[in-house]
Amino acid sequence: MARTEARLESPPVRTTTSALLLEARNLRRILGTGDTAAEILRGVNLTIFAGEYISIVGASGSGKSTLLYLPGGLDRPTRFDPEGKPFDPPSCVHMSGQDTALLGDTQLALLRNRMVGFVFQFHYLLKEFTAQENVALPMFKLGQLSRSAAMDRAGELLKRLGLADKQKRRANRLSGGEQQRVAIARALANEPRVLLADEPTGNLDRRNGELIAEIFQELYAAGQTIIMVTHDASFARRATRCITMDDGRITQDERAE
Amino acid sequence: MRWYIALRYLLSHKRQSLVCVAGVTISVTMYITMVALMKGFEDKFIVETVESSGHITIDDEPRETRTKILERLYTDPNALIAVSNVKPRENVKKIKNAAGLMQQLRHLRGIVAVAPEVDGDAIATYGTKTLNISVLGVDPEEQLRVTTIGKDMAEGNFNRLRTTADGVIIGRGISDLLGAKLNDEISLSSNTGGRTTARVVGIFATGVTPVDYSRAYMLINSAQTLLDKKNIINNIIVRTEDYTKAQAYAAQIESIAGYKTESWQESNANFLKIFAIQTIITYIITGALLIVAAFGVLNILIMAVLERVNDIAILKSFGLSRADITWIYVFQGLMIGLIGTVLGEIIGKLGIESLRRLPIQVEGLIKSEGLLMSENRGMYISAFISSMVIVLLAAVYPARRAASYDPVEVIRGAH
Repeated sequence: MARTEARLESPPVRTTTSALLLEARNLRRILGTGDTAAEILRGVNLTIFAGEYISIVGASGSGKSTLLYLPGGLDRPTRFDPEGKPFDPPSCVHMSGQDTALLGDTQLALLRNRMVGFVFQFHYLLKEFTAQENVALPMFKLGQLSRSAAMDRAGELLKRLGLADKQKRRANRLSGGEQQRVAIARALANEPRVLLADEPTGNLDRRNGELIAEIFQELYAAGQTIIMVTHDASFARRATRCITMDDGRITQDERAE
Repeated sequence: MRWYIALRYLLSHKRQSLVCVAGVTISVTMYITMVALMKGFEDKFIVETVESSGHITIDDEPRETRTKILERLYTDPNALIAVSNVKPRENVKKIKNAAGLMQQLRHLRGIVAVAPEVDGDAIATYGTKTLNISVLGVDPEEQLRVTTIGKDMAEGNFNRLRTTADGVIIGRGISDLLGAKLNDEISLSSNTGGRTTARVVGIFATGVTPVDYSRAYMLINSAQTLLDKKNIINNIIVRTEDYTKAQAYAAQIESIAGYKTESWQESNANFLKIFAIQTIITYIITGALLIVAAFGVLNILIMAVLERVNDIAILKSFGLSRADITWIYVFQGLMIGLIGTVLGEIIGKLGIESLRRLPIQVEGLIKSEGLLMSENRGMYISAFISSMVIVLLAAVYPARRAASYDPVEVIRGAH
């Protein structure tokens, strides 16, 4: 697969004084109620700085994806224990200083639109739209660019990801690897503070998986904060920080030398 | 952006969307044509009845009944008054001082014209054919001011009543049944023994069957002679500025005249009730059609929501709120409703014009050449509003359901 165009800028110089981007304190998530209640996260504390490239690994059901969705504002932390008492200290996530639990649905949606880019295992592209339109949709929502400017930027992003000739193609007419790259371009559309990827290579063959891993590496090099959940050990090793989850808790948090 | 997505979703299922639009279009078309048809007949009946018979009729029935002499003497409510062998006195029914009353009425605000009438039943004979008719003795000039009977003249002229001795103007129905034509002489006899031979000086056709088949006009003096009602005025016909306000004027006139005064609405209450029932049935049928169309919209949108659960999750993931998702589906309903309703109104309008031109002879309560269609702006507005409201209501449930999906559950595969 041609990836000659998919080269991003040179890596920025990392400083030890990177800005605090995300902070989770005593993060808890309980799904269901009563006898069926399942505690997915059991008080996770996590601090993420701008420019970090983090992989979250762990067994299935360990709470990796939940840990990804909560900071991204796609889900909300559980604030009260099953007896109705608030957790002490409170279970919360702060994104750029904002407590996501205190935001209303519209504000939280706006936060996702402006600050977060999601990439999922399944690309979830809108099949009625072209690749370019799929990428432009978050920009249409944000409304900072005109429609044509948003489409131009979407085209530029697709070009950077090696899909210059596939811009006008309907999403469902692209291969799996191409669709995932379109999904990455869409996640980057509004220049998010953080890119959250949930098993982005989980549904791809080795070659396409490698391609996505390279793209992530280049994005990190360009200064993009990335948090990804993966089962792929080699992909996880590319990150500069590796968090291991087990039974809703962080059991290991390592930074690469 | 919401419009952008909604439109694309709608166009992605062209066939289903077209079926939905067609459902709304058919309902609105039916609504408009049926209401126009019903209103056409109702309006024709009202206008012809009102215009040919007057807005208000003062009858020769006094409002206050006389208290019997004995009852005046024995006011104790427990007293038993028994009178035997009472010889009934013949009371001639008439409006006393009709000329004075008419003069008084002419000065009332909102009253355009008043005219005296004497009425009674008669038997019309022409050759071997006889027919019971209702004779109205009128002053032609005054009558033409209170009614539009002059415009309804199919043959002859209403003013010929004045110039032709013992002239009679008969309805088209009477003419057809008797076989009497213009200038033929028919024999008239009343139940009081009066007889006369009258020349047909005119034939009118109001289009209202009960009127055309039973009414005949004569000069007031001739009718008084025929009906043995010398110098008697039975009715006073009143024309008002606004026939829709006839009931209010009638109440006012009744208090002045002291005689039973009926507006055209009261005189034709039975017919108006039938029209009201017809209108209700029309609304029920067309409303049911619209509801069926709305269920079509509901069904298609629910299917669209179920098909696009993943889309909803991803739209939420990149920043669309619950309200945005709700609007995407409400917009789809809005577009289906808007296109369907506008098309329905256009086709309904064309349908009205086509039905008007159909060569159908209508004969019933109303007689007319072709179907009577009545349209007004309100009809189109009410069709638009009711259609849009029902379709939008149908879109709300699927839209709310779409908005309620939790993206995390969808991505985890719970849906």
